[in-house]
Amino acid sequence: MNKKLKALSDMSLQGKISSIYIMANLFVCLVNVLLILGINRMSGEMEMVYRDNLNLNELSESLDTVQNSMTDYLNAKTSDSLEEYYRSSQNYMQLVEGLEDEISGGSYERMKRNIKHMSGQYLEIADQTIDAKRGRNVEKYRTRYENATQLYDYINTYIYSLNNQQFKNNSENYTKLSQAFRLFETVGIAVIIAVIVANVCIITKLVGAIISPLKALAKSADEVANGNFEVELLEVQTRDEIGVVGRAFNQMVVSIREYIERIRHSMEVERAMQEKELLMESHLKDAQLKYLQAQINPHFLFNTLNAGAQLAMLEGADRTYRYVQNMAEFFRYNVKKGDATVTIGEEIELVDNYIYILNVRFSGDIHYEKNVDKSFLQVEMPSMILQPIVENCVNHGIREMAGKGRIWLNVYRIDDTVCISVRDNGIGMDKETIDKVLAGTYREEEHAEGSNGIGMDNVIARLKLFTEYEDVMSIISEGKNLGTEFIIYLQMREREDDDV
Amino acid sequence: MNKDRRKPKKYTFYLGITILLLVITIIMGVFAFTIYLGRYTQKSNPNRYGRYYIMIAENNSASFWKSVYMGAYEEGLLQDSYVDFLNDTFGGSYSKEDMMRIAIASEVDGIIVAADESDEMTELINEAAEAEIPVVTLYGDNTQSNRCTFVGIGSYDLGREYGRQVLEIMRKKQLPRAQVQVTPLYDEDGVRLMWTEKMIQRPVKVTVLMSAHTQDSGQNILCSGIQETIENEKQENVEIELSLVTIDDTNTFSVEESIRDIFMEEDLPDIIVCLNELNTTCAYQAVVDYNKVGQVNILGYYDSDTILKAIDRNVIYATAKVDAAQMGKYCVEALTEYHSFGNTSQYFMADIELINKDNIAEYLDGGAKSE
Repeated sequence: MNKKLKALSDMSLQGKISSIYIMANLFVCLVNVLLILGINRMSGEMEMVYRDNLNLNELSESLDTVQNSMTDYLNAKTSDSLEEYYRSSQNYMQLVEGLEDEISGGSYERMKRNIKHMSGQYLEIADQTIDAKRGRNVEKYRTRYENATQLYDYINTYIYSLNNQQFKNNSENYTKLSQAFRLFETVGIAVIIAVIVANVCIITKLVGAIISPLKALAKSADEVANGNFEVELLEVQTRDEIGVVGRAFNQMVVSIREYIERIRHSMEVERAMQEKELLMESHLKDAQLKYLQAQINPHFLFNTLNAGAQLAMLEGADRTYRYVQNMAEFFRYNVKKGDATVTIGEEIELVDNYIYILNVRFSGDIHYEKNVDKSFLQVEMPSMILQPIVENCVNHGIREMAGKGRIWLNVYRIDDTVCISVRDNGIGMDKETIDKVLAGTYREEEHAEGSNGIGMDNVIARLKLFTEYEDVMSIISEGKNLGTEFIIYLQMREREDDDV
Repeated sequence: MNKDRRKPKKYTFYLGITILLLVITIIMGVFAFTIYLGRYTQKSNPNRYGRYYIMIAENNSASFWKSVYMGAYEEGLLQDSYVDFLNDTFGGSYSKEDMMRIAIASEVDGIIVAADESDEMTELINEAAEAEIPVVTLYGDNTQSNRCTFVGIGSYDLGREYGRQVLEIMRKKQLPRAQVQVTPLYDEDGVRLMWTEKMIQRPVKVTVLMSAHTQDSGQNILCSGIQETIENEKQENVEIELSLVTIDDTNTFSVEESIRDIFMEEDLPDIIVCLNELNTTCAYQAVVDYNKVGQVNILGYYDSDTILKAIDRNVIYATAKVDAAQMGKYCVEALTEYHSFGNTSQYFMADIELINKDNIAEYLDGGAKSE
């Protein structure tokens, strides 16, 4: 049973709907067939009602023919009438044979029995009459004719009476039957209406039952269309087309959810990667900075100079002591500040030291002028920037000028940017060299004498990393022997007090 | 799991209901239709019987004959015989003789006939006997014929009873009544002188309504019974005038006219004795119509409802109740006996009872009757 039910519910949609309609039509059809059969049977009964009367009429007519032909023969003695008599009496006998010969409780049967017996006697007498006529026995055939006629009357009356009674009864039956027929008609119509109404109800219910998963599907699909992917998955039990679509829909919803999840995940990964990249970049920057600073390693120098300064002081050589002390200061700056951010003031101090050392070395050939707004002294900048620039100016600008070389240091402000300008009056730079220097591709062949090893490319790179500006430095040279001006641009970023 | 199963079940549930409805409709429809149609096509009683008797009565369709027939019919059913009442079939269109011929021609197993002493009847009964059909004469006999038995009432006894009733009426109503006879007295010249008054006793007039069939021995015996009783038992000085009036019962409806003729006459009878049910009913109606209640006393015959009511209302003095059903029963018994043994008793007498004002209550309603 369960298997059958399952097979039913697994039917295709077409199969289901077709089966419903076939069932409904079959139902109506069957009821109709029953009604028609009923009507047929009733009309058959109605036709049968008067059959007995028709039979009796036939019997009566046949009897009349016998009597008339006998009378004809007695009158005229024609062979035609004799033939007619034999034929009709034969016919009548056959009809009479068909009557029942039972003593029944039913009056019709008894009357038929009596008619049968009387007819037998009648035919006997009639035969005798004909025989007497043939024998020309006038007296005999007259008497017998009278007897026969009397019997004929009786039989006729009997038939008439029976016919009447039957007709009366049949009429009653007919009336009842036709009433029944009318009732049957009414009932039939009522039944058909009831069947149709029931059919409509059942079809509606059944189709509803079939369609309801489709409705649920449509509702879910609508929700999905409106962007709600968190709809409850449909319950799919059937294996019909709706079931297939439902399953496909469920699969689709699940797939969409999975896709969304996957996309979200990949986006998160990407973002993390970006973050990582940024972090790496900053680390790299940091590393680069550290690396570049590490190129200048003056620890040893500082320590030895310090020892030299102490020695000079022990020997009482004050100028030597000062000189070595400045040298030590200069290198200590490198040890101390090499890996940190410093202020413009500290950087300028370093430049001061450097110029002092050079002037000792070159016996005061370098004229150094500085014009610094004190309010910018606390502005932050990377360490070891100004000294290489000044060094560059000394090496390439004014070394060969023998006491005529000059260096100007200016710190000023344009909008939010702090500008540090280092200018010399040396040999100047051609445009090509300026471009190369700014692009970081210019390489000095060897470290110049007295250089601390930090090239312009390093300076520019570190400035770029620090300020995150693209243009951190501009080099201005009017032409040969017209000097060079280096200007570096810094963000107005002042050091916090506690760091000082 | 339950939840999963619910929807397919819904579908199959409706499908199941459809099929169930279908089957129920078909079964109910066929069943109802068959029963319904069966009511209209029921065949008549299919019982079959071994013998077939025909009963022929007087043509007046009185309830008396119906009762006789019912007695015969019921007894017949017990004896595996069917008794047909031919008067019912032909409804008065044939005479008894015609019906006898029909019965003979129908080759029945026995005929019960209310015979008379006519030659034609004798002939017919003999004819039937020749055709080996036993004939029982009922109520009226045909003594000369070869009938096998006679079932009737004791006519002489009934006559004596009527006679006694006549005398009782005379005693109770103080008949004869004295009558003043006024006669004129004339002188010689024929001139009337005066009126003479004389008290005379008018004789009591008793009229017996007789059937036109004068050969009916039964009523003759009955009449002599009345006559003898009156003669023997009356007071000596009382004069009783017994007249026999023949009622024309040869034609349909003539009985009533004949009885009314009696009332048209000046000298009305004091007592009318009726010897059958129809006469009784007609006489009763005439007495009422002519406003002669109390003046004309009726002695009736049979106990139909009309007659019983009339007794209750003092219109009919008394009636002889013949046990009609018993008569019918005797007829069939006689025929069965004849078929079994080839012979039977010559006479069967039915019981007679007298109903008058004293015992009318016993008969008036069905409840009393059954008690």
